[in-house]
Amino acid sequence: MKAKKLLMGAAVLAAGTIALSACSGTSDSSNSSSKVSMTLWQNSTTGPGQQYWKDAIAAFEKANPNVTIKMQSIQNEDLDGKLQTALNSGDAPDIFLQRGGGKMAAMVQAGQLMDITDKISSDTKKVISSGSFKAETYQNKVYAMPLSVLPGGLFYSQDLFKAAGITEAPKTIDDLSADVQKLKATGVSPIALGAKDAWPAAHWFYWFALRECSGSTMEKTADSKSFSDSCWTKAAEDLQNFAGQKPFNDGFLTTSAQQGAGSSAGLVANHKAAMELMGAWDPGVIASLTPDQKPLADLGFYPFPELSSAGKGEPGSIMGGVDGYSCSVKAPKQCADFLNFIASTPQQIAYYKAFNSPPVNTDAQKEVTEPYLKDVLAAYNKAPYVSQWLDTVLGQNIGNALNVAVVDMLAGKTDAKGMIQAANDAAKKG
Amino acid sequence: MTALTVSSRSSRRAARKSLPWGSPAVYFIALIVIALMIVPIAYIIIGGFRTNSQITVDPAGFPNPWNPANYLEVLTGGVFWGQVLNSTITALVTTVGAVGLGLMASYVLARYPFRGSGALYALFAAGLMFPITVAITPLYIVVRNLGLMNSLAGVIIPQIAFALPTTIIILVPFLRAIPDEIQEAAFIDGCSRIGFFFRMVLRLSLPGVITVGILAFIGSWNSYLLPLFILNDQATFTLPLGVQAFSSQYATDTSKVLAFTSLSMIPALIFFSLFERRIVGGLTGAVKG
Amino acid sequence: MSNTRESTSTEHVSTADLAQHDGSGAAASLPSQPRRRRGAGWALRAEIALLAGPAVIVFLAFVIFPVVMAAYYGFFRWAGYGPPTDFVGLQNYVVILTDPAFLAALGHNAFIVVASIVIQGPIAILLALLLNRKMKGQSIIRVLIFVPYVISEVVVGTGWSLMLATNGALNGFLHNVGLGSWAHDWLSDPNIAIWTLMGILTWKYVGFAVILFLAGLQGIPEELYEAAALDGASFWQIQRRITLPLLGPTLRIWAFLSIIGALQLFDLVYIIWGQYVASTAGTSTMATYMVANGRNAGNYGYGNAVAVVIFLISMIVALIYQRFVLRRDTAGAVTTAKKSGRTKGRRGAAATERTA
Repeated sequence: MKAKKLLMGAAVLAAGTIALSACSGTSDSSNSSSKVSMTLWQNSTTGPGQQYWKDAIAAFEKANPNVTIKMQSIQNEDLDGKLQTALNSGDAPDIFLQRGGGKMAAMVQAGQLMDITDKISSDTKKVISSGSFKAETYQNKVYAMPLSVLPGGLFYSQDLFKAAGITEAPKTIDDLSADVQKLKATGVSPIALGAKDAWPAAHWFYWFALRECSGSTMEKTADSKSFSDSCWTKAAEDLQNFAGQKPFNDGFLTTSAQQGAGSSAGLVANHKAAMELMGAWDPGVIASLTPDQKPLADLGFYPFPELSSAGKGEPGSIMGGVDGYSCSVKAPKQCADFLNFIASTPQQIAYYKAFNSPPVNTDAQKEVTEPYLKDVLAAYNKAPYVSQWLDTVLGQNIGNALNVAVVDMLAGKTDAKGMIQAANDAAKKG
Repeated sequence: MTALTVSSRSSRRAARKSLPWGSPAVYFIALIVIALMIVPIAYIIIGGFRTNSQITVDPAGFPNPWNPANYLEVLTGGVFWGQVLNSTITALVTTVGAVGLGLMASYVLARYPFRGSGALYALFAAGLMFPITVAITPLYIVVRNLGLMNSLAGVIIPQIAFALPTTIIILVPFLRAIPDEIQEAAFIDGCSRIGFFFRMVLRLSLPGVITVGILAFIGSWNSYLLPLFILNDQATFTLPLGVQAFSSQYATDTSKVLAFTSLSMIPALIFFSLFERRIVGGLTGAVKG
Repeated sequence: MSNTRESTSTEHVSTADLAQHDGSGAAASLPSQPRRRRGAGWALRAEIALLAGPAVIVFLAFVIFPVVMAAYYGFFRWAGYGPPTDFVGLQNYVVILTDPAFLAALGHNAFIVVASIVIQGPIAILLALLLNRKMKGQSIIRVLIFVPYVISEVVVGTGWSLMLATNGALNGFLHNVGLGSWAHDWLSDPNIAIWTLMGILTWKYVGFAVILFLAGLQGIPEELYEAAALDGASFWQIQRRITLPLLGPTLRIWAFLSIIGALQLFDLVYIIWGQYVASTAGTSTMATYMVANGRNAGNYGYGNAVAVVIFLISMIVALIYQRFVLRRDTAGAVTTAKKSGRTKGRRGAAATERTA
């Protein structure tokens, strides 16, 4: 009797386990021409962005009836970690957001990405310049389809600037400092900073570095991972001095970049802060956080100011990311078809309208109407030198460490030298 | 001093009838403590009844008007109930597994004399030293190699394993405390050790079993890190993952997040209020031996 | 009866004492069944294997084996995919122990360990003493005090971070009642963030301590109180001389659980401060350091080395605690305890030390 009880119990447990492992949520993609199913991971969790992807998938499925695509929306801050876990476990999605730079290089080195160099259709090549593909290229092979070019700069509220008596956008850092003082006098936070996510704070450092360091120095550091050139320390000191006048909102350490009305984007959207330094995705994010959830009416853009005493960086240089989408190496060939599909002009126009950010498709770019986006594109097109975001260039390990070190410096826990030291030390961890 | 003797005498009488009132000072202090405990929870629950603009304008105010839309949306959407189901399945199977395996192993450790028992006990006790964060990366590789990624089984089995140390450490003293006379009497009646286990030990150690069962259930229900690593597909999310995903996804909508968060507290609270007496009783028993 | 009660810790019911008076503890049963001995070797082993086997297998496979693997990976520089190939020996460990961020996290953990005991202990004891009487509503009071413990750390973290945000409910409330000057950046100010964390931890876990202490208090026989009262002792004298010492074993177990929990703290900090700013805010723990520098940075070898360091630290602390503090109680002792019937509290426990 007792043996029976034991056996029964064990059988129940075993059956339960087997049944539960069948309840798994993975979908496998097959290469047979009958039914193809793919998974897509994207980082827009609400509103028009998410809707864009739903519509794009529906349109593609209609044109390709044997293909189904399952979409997962993952919060931007969680995406990189989850993606890495999934890629390493062999459970990767088929189509996913690609940031490029060192992060993409790591994936290529691990053999996790599909090489799409030969799979880009000629139609696509006509409307997307080779320059845009550069960000998605590693060792002369293309691994992602670029969708949106996202240069950075300062997005600001023209109304708040006017109320503080600022008549034109600052051109130098000294101008910016003066404007910060004027804005403080009106009781509003001059600059919103989402330091909780670390990278928004780091962006301030990257821009100072872009002004202080020459392009070749930055590229050398990307390879050597050593910040020994003095321009890096100078940039850190510049930032420390700038931060000394306390231009950021209160509690910036636990202010997120994009999440909720309390985020830095939310502060700008609700006129609680006058400006923030962001990439060209910001108008879309701000639009979702305004009281009426429409684009901010008085939003303006100006490029990052030049240094008052010029550094080694070329004036007018700009830094920006390119949002692209990659196929995993295990994805079916229809994945490349999907990439070409979303690069097409009608899709790119829909993308721009949904995300309020500049498309890479040159035909679609002609449809851009917002003045701030036009300013963004103008600054981008005349820049003598374009760099990717430094944390993307440096890869996850060094990038993370550098980001956190900047936050430490802004919070007063370390100084410029300590910050550079922390970035150098990160190389020892992996 | 006389108050003590009076209360002890009256408490012996009172145990048979109804309980006497305590002193007002005690009630007052208890009230303050309870207020401190409950007010944050009340804030979360009430916050769900407001709208975002209410919250932005007056972060600490009351709902005006009361807006049930958030709660209704969460309750009628499928996401919340799916996660409740996932959490329930996971927690129940974890509890049954941990208690079952733990009880059997504790019985061996408590009442079988054999040379390795000390070492075995030390092995399980050492398990208390690893938080799941320590083992998570290789554990995730083990789960992946077993093909259990994205499945509830991939969460349940490691949870059972990690619940074993606490279970065994609590149950061994319980089982040791069963008087040997009972065991001898059973043996004299011809019962084997295993028979003794199934017939008598289960019943005698019930308070301890309930305690560890509740601890295992609560531990599984609230567990976050392991599901975070193992479950990628949103359909398999348990409630803690769901709360975090929801709060990220709807971060623009603070009131909705509050509604979701407070609803996710409710199963735990219901469970606790049902078993409150057992929990306290079980802890009493565990402490007394 | 009262002799045996005083001589042992409150861990064991008096009937167990009777058992132990027979000789060794559980082993007392063996000599009384000689017939089972012959041939009992195999049957015994089979039973042991059958009963303990499943637990041992699951435990080895999912706890021990991963920890051993973690130790192995810790010797490599490894990005997490494919087999690790870049052997670096002890270098990861050197980096960990010289990294100011890790040492800061270790310091935070140490602070949390000490502060948890120092803050929660007295509060919980006082509350338990006050509530340790039969009165109307005792059940409800206990339930309500225990409620925060039941709620998951994710929910607690989400709720509290909304409440404590710079423009959140707490500051709003302070402004509303005219105490605006008391409003602070509870979560962002590195000077007070760790105290905020202690506040949240106390809120969550003090109820558990109270319930545990109440359970321990109920194990103290009333006759002791009556005898002391008859001898003319005041309420506080009784608490100091009788209650607290007899509550000792409970206190020590609770402190042990509290220490281990504080060393392993992760969920709450990660939810409230995220993966990046915990160290800046002064609230990072070893576990958040591990996740931030290991998995999130793609340094799986390094992360595993941190995990091993956390394990070793917990292990050492636990062993020291067991040796010097818990020895006076027999709970947690590995061997079967021989107890002699001594009459006085601590000395009786000390006598068991020699045989434990």
